[in-house]
Amino acid sequence: MAISSLLGIAQRALLASETALGVVGNNIANVNTPGYTREVPDLESDPSALTPQGVLVGSGVHVAAVRQVIDPLLERRLLGAETDRQEQGAVRDQLTALAGVLNELDQPSLGDAVNGFFDAADALARNPGGSAERETFLGRAGALAGELQRRSGAVASLQRGADDAYVAAATRANDALGQIADLNRAITAAEAGGQSAGDLRDRRRTALTDLAGVLGIQTVETKEGITVSAANGAVLVDGGAVVHQIAVREQGTGLDGHALHEAGLSDATGAFIAVPAAFASGELAALARVRDGELVGASSKLDSFASALVTEVNRIQTNGGAGAVDLDGGSTAGVPLFGGTDAKTITVLLTGPDAGRRIGAALSTAPGDNQNALNLADLRTATQATLGNATFSGYVADLTGQVGEDAAQARDTAQASQALQQQLQTQRDSFSGVNLNEELTNLLRYQRAFQASAQAINVANQMLDELMQVIR
Amino acid sequence: MTISRVSDAQSFSLLVDRTGQLQASLQTLEQEVASGKRLFTPDDDPLGAVAATRTEASLAALAQYSSTSSFGTDVLGAEDKALGEAEQILVRAEEIATQQASSLLSPAERAAAKEEVHGLLEGLTALGNSELGGRRIFAGLALDGAAPFAAVPDDVSGYDPAKAYTGSAQEFSVKVGGGPSERVRITTRGDAVFGSSLQALKDLWTALDTNGDTAGTLAGLATARGDLSTERASVGGRQAELVGRTSQVKSLTVDQQKALSEVEDADLVAVIARLTQTQTALQAALTAGAEIARTSLVDLLRV
Repeated sequence: MAISSLLGIAQRALLASETALGVVGNNIANVNTPGYTREVPDLESDPSALTPQGVLVGSGVHVAAVRQVIDPLLERRLLGAETDRQEQGAVRDQLTALAGVLNELDQPSLGDAVNGFFDAADALARNPGGSAERETFLGRAGALAGELQRRSGAVASLQRGADDAYVAAATRANDALGQIADLNRAITAAEAGGQSAGDLRDRRRTALTDLAGVLGIQTVETKEGITVSAANGAVLVDGGAVVHQIAVREQGTGLDGHALHEAGLSDATGAFIAVPAAFASGELAALARVRDGELVGASSKLDSFASALVTEVNRIQTNGGAGAVDLDGGSTAGVPLFGGTDAKTITVLLTGPDAGRRIGAALSTAPGDNQNALNLADLRTATQATLGNATFSGYVADLTGQVGEDAAQARDTAQASQALQQQLQTQRDSFSGVNLNEELTNLLRYQRAFQASAQAINVANQMLDELMQVIR
Repeated sequence: MTISRVSDAQSFSLLVDRTGQLQASLQTLEQEVASGKRLFTPDDDPLGAVAATRTEASLAALAQYSSTSSFGTDVLGAEDKALGEAEQILVRAEEIATQQASSLLSPAERAAAKEEVHGLLEGLTALGNSELGGRRIFAGLALDGAAPFAAVPDDVSGYDPAKAYTGSAQEFSVKVGGGPSERVRITTRGDAVFGSSLQALKDLWTALDTNGDTAGTLAGLATARGDLSTERASVGGRQAELVGRTSQVKSLTVDQQKALSEVEDADLVAVIARLTQTQTALQAALTAGAEIARTSLVDLLRV
């Protein structure tokens, strides 16, 4: 056996150990890097060579590849779980905000405003001639209108917020699509040149996770990288190219009167293609669902409430159009209390210094008549056919209960999908994450290998020395 | 799920998740202890939120029924007092009529009696004009209204009891319950209450003025007194109804407040017990977390 071959083997072993130590060192360095996938050096023995003595002897070791420890099936499941997590999370956030807007347990609540209004009607019925009672009644009517307007406005601005988030999510998805295409190219190029592209693969994984949060995707790994398609099968990224971008166009009108948006796909020509099936899951789907569903529903419930209130109070104030009698003995026919038709537009029409005197508390001109004020006070417990036979305060209670129930359900669903995602993430971390104890053991192992290889060089060197001495 | 391999990131993120959850529950519990409430948003307990909101509405209505009942009781009490005094006036008038029926009395005594009856008539008019908080109780409770009964002139011929009342023709009812029919009338028109009394007193006055037979007015006086006591009985009956309503509303209010408290108040003993429990769990998690860093090969190696 040639001494020089021992030198060669030792030298390659040194290099392999050095590379392995580098991989281990990189793992240790990235112990806290989010999304980092641990790497292992694939050591491979060099092909054996025939010695002059006719024996096959191994010729050393080399690092064949630096491989990411990754489970592709688990990665795909994680993407799916991410879609679900973001979808349920967005629903939960929106519905929790809605429950906050219609929170009757907080002050000032709509229910308190309703109770205050009817309290003032009762006080007016006790003393129909009192100017303080009349002013208080108008004041409480104004407060009730104000609370309705405030809630209607808050729901509209929640809807606007959901739409803004919708557009922003579409933009994020396009960023992610661009990144995935770029990284596909970079990874293919790097790996074709024999380089390890672990960091690029990690970055692509992050981009895929971002995209999966926005809309449900399917991925297939090919030689050119990862092909991404939407839930309906439309290809979004093929190799290094973005085939379809997410486009957003105006569609429908929001509660605040401005346009809402709809996501679709656009190809190289830039034309908008409506594909609802592509946006059936993920954050985009969740935001559209709540924006067009629960928020519109809550707003229309507030509108029904306001409309019934305006109609009923005005019916009594004007005595069904025939006219009740105000404090100056005048008729209230054509002198309604509330204006507007819904929660957004409801206002108190009686204003000015003498407004209180225009309340039709009486049905006759007899002084002290409180008959119509009693009718107003009766509204407190009157069931409203237009509100599903609920009383005004009962309707408010049911509304808060309903949004509360929606929010509570959304929270539970979100928690479940979060738990599933976490479980998969734990599995992934367990499989692909860095364990310092393990890396330190590997560090020792390769260090020992390095030391032994160095020792082999020393031995070869001594053998050569001894040969040299024979020659001298 | 069996985990055969634990990465460092995993143990730390588990620690962060766990302590985060514990801190969130701690915050909720602290909020419950600080406020004494267990409901903050409807999603905490949707059905509880509905019950709480409905109960608040019931309590608001009950408070109004209670205010109205006690207002009605006050008004009816004032009426009862006025009617009682009016009865005394008629008793006195009957005494005078009986005395004056005897022919043994001097003209001076007769003049004095006439003067007294005039005074009684003025007294009855004043009762008819009684006010409670600026509101005429025998004139539909009109606020700051003019006196419903005309003043009694010095001359008997100038007084017409049938035209004395100019107050409101409207009686006043109050709402003491949820239903539209749950109303109690708390006034009676002054002319209906005092009409016969005023007429009987005027007849006595006329008899004394014209030296006529006062005994003939006794029947009218007795009928008028009967009218007053009938009305007084009716007032008493309605007053009793309102008092009954008030105590009923009070007990309903107590029930509703109890229901509200059951729905929205925190069970402090349980909350504080859970608070301590959670604090202990958080401490344990943090202590365990500190151990993660220690059980590392790093410390044991002399590389």
